[in-house]
Amino acid sequence: MTMTHPGLPPSWSLVVCLFMLVLSGHMLLTNYIPNRRSKSINLAGIPVLGTFIRNLFEKPVILLLLKIIMVCLFILVISAGLSGSQIPERNIATVLTWNIWWAGLIISIFFLGSAWCAICPWDAISTWLVRRRLWRRAEPNNSLNLKVSRKLRSVWPALILFIALTWLELGVGVTSSPYMTALLALAMVLMATVSLAIYEGKAFCRYFCPVGRTIGFYSQLAPVELRPINTDICANCKTLECYYGSETVEPCPTHLVMGRLKQNTYCTSCGNCSRSCPDNNVAWRLRAPSKEAIEDARPHWDEAWFMLGLLALTEFHGITMISFYETWLLQFASLLNDSGKLLWSFSILLLLSLAVVVFIYTFFTWLTQIACQKKQDFKKIFSGFVFATLPLAFSYHIAHNLNHLFRESSGIGTLLLNPLGLNTQPLSMMEKHSRHQELLLSYDILFSLQAGLIAFGFWISLKVIQHRGNTMMADANWRLSPMVLFAIFITALHLWLLMQPMLMRF
Amino acid sequence: MQVETQIGDYYITYMVFPAFPDPNEPGRVNLYASRIDNGKPFAGEVAFKVRNDSLFNEEEELLGVQIPDDNVFRQGFEFRESGDFIVRAEFESDGEPYQVDFPLQIGEPARWGPIGITVAVIMFVLIAVNLIQRKRLTSDRIRSSHQSSPR
Repeated sequence: MTMTHPGLPPSWSLVVCLFMLVLSGHMLLTNYIPNRRSKSINLAGIPVLGTFIRNLFEKPVILLLLKIIMVCLFILVISAGLSGSQIPERNIATVLTWNIWWAGLIISIFFLGSAWCAICPWDAISTWLVRRRLWRRAEPNNSLNLKVSRKLRSVWPALILFIALTWLELGVGVTSSPYMTALLALAMVLMATVSLAIYEGKAFCRYFCPVGRTIGFYSQLAPVELRPINTDICANCKTLECYYGSETVEPCPTHLVMGRLKQNTYCTSCGNCSRSCPDNNVAWRLRAPSKEAIEDARPHWDEAWFMLGLLALTEFHGITMISFYETWLLQFASLLNDSGKLLWSFSILLLLSLAVVVFIYTFFTWLTQIACQKKQDFKKIFSGFVFATLPLAFSYHIAHNLNHLFRESSGIGTLLLNPLGLNTQPLSMMEKHSRHQELLLSYDILFSLQAGLIAFGFWISLKVIQHRGNTMMADANWRLSPMVLFAIFITALHLWLLMQPMLMRF
Repeated sequence: MQVETQIGDYYITYMVFPAFPDPNEPGRVNLYASRIDNGKPFAGEVAFKVRNDSLFNEEEELLGVQIPDDNVFRQGFEFRESGDFIVRAEFESDGEPYQVDFPLQIGEPARWGPIGITVAVIMFVLIAVNLIQRKRLTSDRIRSSHQSSPR
């Protein structure tokens, strides 16, 4: 019998709806005053925390130690998946990967930005294999160092791989198979290694990795950034160690120049720039969260599609975990005369969900173009306002993942004692019930966090619409109403999804 | 191995003996279905079908049709090959068709094959890259020695 988690109570949703209406009205009726003072704090200057952060990124040994721990856990996942019990809830491969890491990763971006990329195990393994160095700069001849072809130099490959990952995760059911989880982990190592051996820099991280790009785009909303302390020093720099590297430190793996860096999207937090800068002019800074999505990030056509894909796939994840999704899938499968694993039906539904979100966004973009009397190019409006979808997707993604993390991680203690789940049986109904009751957070706290996140996402989305709208057109106020309606519609959909009872993963 | 599930008006309990049977080893599926509302066991016929659990596979084979024996539907089987299969139990109650799928693993899955393939591919790529690089370096050396030699 499948267990379900209760959904967000209607009272919380009502509060968020009222908040949305008041905020939207206020935004549309008042004149926009741009915030010219954007403060950021150098984290290295904070007494205790600053020393820790400086050591973490300036002394590669600490980072290396963290990478080794991650690689050990990664190897444990692979070996447990391949040789452990195939009962998903009894094997650490599935629980650690899907209930803890995948759910916790998205939440970690909210606080730490793209920090995961700095200790990513598949990147660490591939780097050690190809560069044959633990941390110092490697000889250039360990890789073919080919340039990535112009056609691939975009986030389209990452978007396609992200759709494929969702298909494997929800359609094929990798999340409930320790064996397939291990295969996926091996595939990631393989792709990262082959890419590193062929292409210059870390092309896999920049163009192909679906996890890295998801982290990158969500990091636009993170409260931390790696930036120059004094921009004048960067402006006068002739040697560009951040870009070319130094004698001992590798160059930026994603070809970023610190002096021109405005967004976190492609930063992997490796800290090479901060270690190689001869003026010690690069530091972690604390900033207003989402400042980047609101103001700094520049619109690009391929990135716009990735952000829309992120929104659609996040929502599709939520839909597949509501209790009546199975019925919908079965009804749809019977229409198509599909049987077996229903993969055809699932694949069509997945593509439909992407198409529906794109259609809705395109429709509201078209309305916005009409509202501004067609003075703006459609493509410009499309890729400019798409940043508003980022906080909506991110807040819903975290709210949804809180369910997995706090409601499904209670058995981790037992798993650590027997990570391979040897000689175990599937959870009985009694055990499932008892785990269902063992929440790491009370329902009240969880619901308030979820409602707060959705309201926060909507608020940031409105700020994006307001800022980008006013930079795009004069006297924008009411002309932004189609985009505001889009944000309301998507937030209402997210609230509805959160209100539904959610199926426990396993 | 025992799995419990709920479908329509019924609670289903499914057991496989042994939990992970080997090829050419006789095994048995026991299925027990009882109504959710009054706990009354299902007393009709249950058809057991099997198919390979591979992507987009739809070919099914009938294992047998069983009547209850002490309220339990018992279906024997013996597979010749290892692999992942799906056993489907089908029955009809109050004019409604019921289909319940259960996974059945025969034999051990390939434990070290995927690691072997990954290591082999990585080794192949690294060696190939190394050879290409050596060739490049040698041609560079020859070219530079040609350029530096007096004409």
